[in-house]
Amino acid sequence: MTFLLSQIDNVGRSVARNLEYTARVLLMVYLSFRASFVDQAQGFRTIFSVVSMQIYFTGLQALPLISVLALGSGGVVILQSSTNLNLLGGTEMIGKLLVMIIVREVGPLLTALVVIARSGTAVASEVGNMGANREIEALESMGINPLSFIVFPRIVGGVLSVVGLAVYFVVISLLGGYFLTRLMHNLPFWFYLDSLTRSVAFEDIWLFLLKNTFSGTIIFVVSCYQGLSVKRSPTEVPIATTQAVVKSIIYVVVFNLMVTTLFYLSQLRKLGVL
Amino acid sequence: MSDILSLRFENLTFAYPNEAPLFESASFEFPMNEIVWILSENGAGRSTLLQLLAVLLSPQRGAFLINEQDTTPMTFEEFLPYRLNIGYGFDLGGVIHNRTMLENLMLPLIYHEVLPYPDAKKRAERYMDRMGILRYKDLRPSLVPGGVRKVICLIRALILHPQVLLLDDPTVGLGFESGLRFFDLVSDLRAAGNLRHVFLSSFDEKFMLNMQFRQIAIDDKRIHHFPGDIAPGVAS
Repeated sequence: MTFLLSQIDNVGRSVARNLEYTARVLLMVYLSFRASFVDQAQGFRTIFSVVSMQIYFTGLQALPLISVLALGSGGVVILQSSTNLNLLGGTEMIGKLLVMIIVREVGPLLTALVVIARSGTAVASEVGNMGANREIEALESMGINPLSFIVFPRIVGGVLSVVGLAVYFVVISLLGGYFLTRLMHNLPFWFYLDSLTRSVAFEDIWLFLLKNTFSGTIIFVVSCYQGLSVKRSPTEVPIATTQAVVKSIIYVVVFNLMVTTLFYLSQLRKLGVL
Repeated sequence: MSDILSLRFENLTFAYPNEAPLFESASFEFPMNEIVWILSENGAGRSTLLQLLAVLLSPQRGAFLINEQDTTPMTFEEFLPYRLNIGYGFDLGGVIHNRTMLENLMLPLIYHEVLPYPDAKKRAERYMDRMGILRYKDLRPSLVPGGVRKVICLIRALILHPQVLLLDDPTVGLGFESGLRFFDLVSDLRAAGNLRHVFLSSFDEKFMLNMQFRQIAIDDKRIHHFPGDIAPGVAS
């Protein structure tokens, strides 16, 4: 009985900790947006320059890595699908299958993982170092709200970059992957393109945007929060960075899984299965 | 910017987390229109006092009043008009590493749209030139000597021409000549009607002899006027 009670106690504590963490993070997001929009004295031009720098670092500089991953994953999925659908006699299904795999699932998830690895770590360590070097205090002393100067532009720039990168991933994956594996399958291009365009529905676009927008938000909010948790010592920076990566991966994967589950449940309901 | 006419602690208590209080029920009316030298033993709270005056720290109990207005419940935005009239020079750190030295100086001017870009650049370059560090203007902090970073931090504190200037150990990491140049600049700005209330902490007695100041001391978690009051100095 004692063991059971202590287990319940542990679960309760963990839930409370996570709820508190979520509340703190949401408060930070609210305050950063409020500081950026409510206070007219804040220099929007300076904030905009930080947003554009964030898009450059997170979006543009990630293009080569995203290209390699998109070509690789797209090529593999196209090759596997075309071969197996050919054997089963359902080649016209290839568009639907690729939309399901690449647009709905692999694109958003792989893009998010790449951004966590490249930019989540960079943001957490940069903001953490700013705290350790007293740069955040310095901003405050200059009357610059760190939430509007550091957090807001990173979230906005980060989300725009993630959505942009995910669109790029899907395009490169579906088109680049096709041409990369062209010699290994016998799918005519116009047939392939027609199958793809007929398979993309409004709900796919909606699901794609929802997943990427929220994944981007999660990554940059968590990374900024972990970075800001560094107080004075540089030894806190690697801890904050690791925490940012671990938490971002967990939240992004859980979020993607939840959305996918809800989406398929709604599909089943629409078909009358549920 | 709001004029700052008085600074006062009322029963103020401050402690860092899990540490003994540095100030306990401290009440003090700070002298105004002076250069005030804050004295204390090491670790007695000189830097903390300056950070409390800059509202970079909040007391656990009591109040810090500017113009008899309690600053403790103010939001960042509500305090902003006062904040722009308070310059703070760090003892160590505080330089923004992803900006050049010139951009560091121009940041508050541009962000708060105090001056248009060309004028902000002109003012920042003029002060850099006066301190003899203009040749470092396009370099990032990691590429310049520590003394230059310190100078940037000091002149950034007065770039907005605030009424209150708070300097935490301004001569640490600074050569004697740079220190004198900086205080020449402070004196000129004071003569022009800016930097009316200067508060500084320093162990550098040789350096302090170059100016006329009033002394206050932190002792037994309280702030006191130091006996002897205005110390003899060379220049005000």
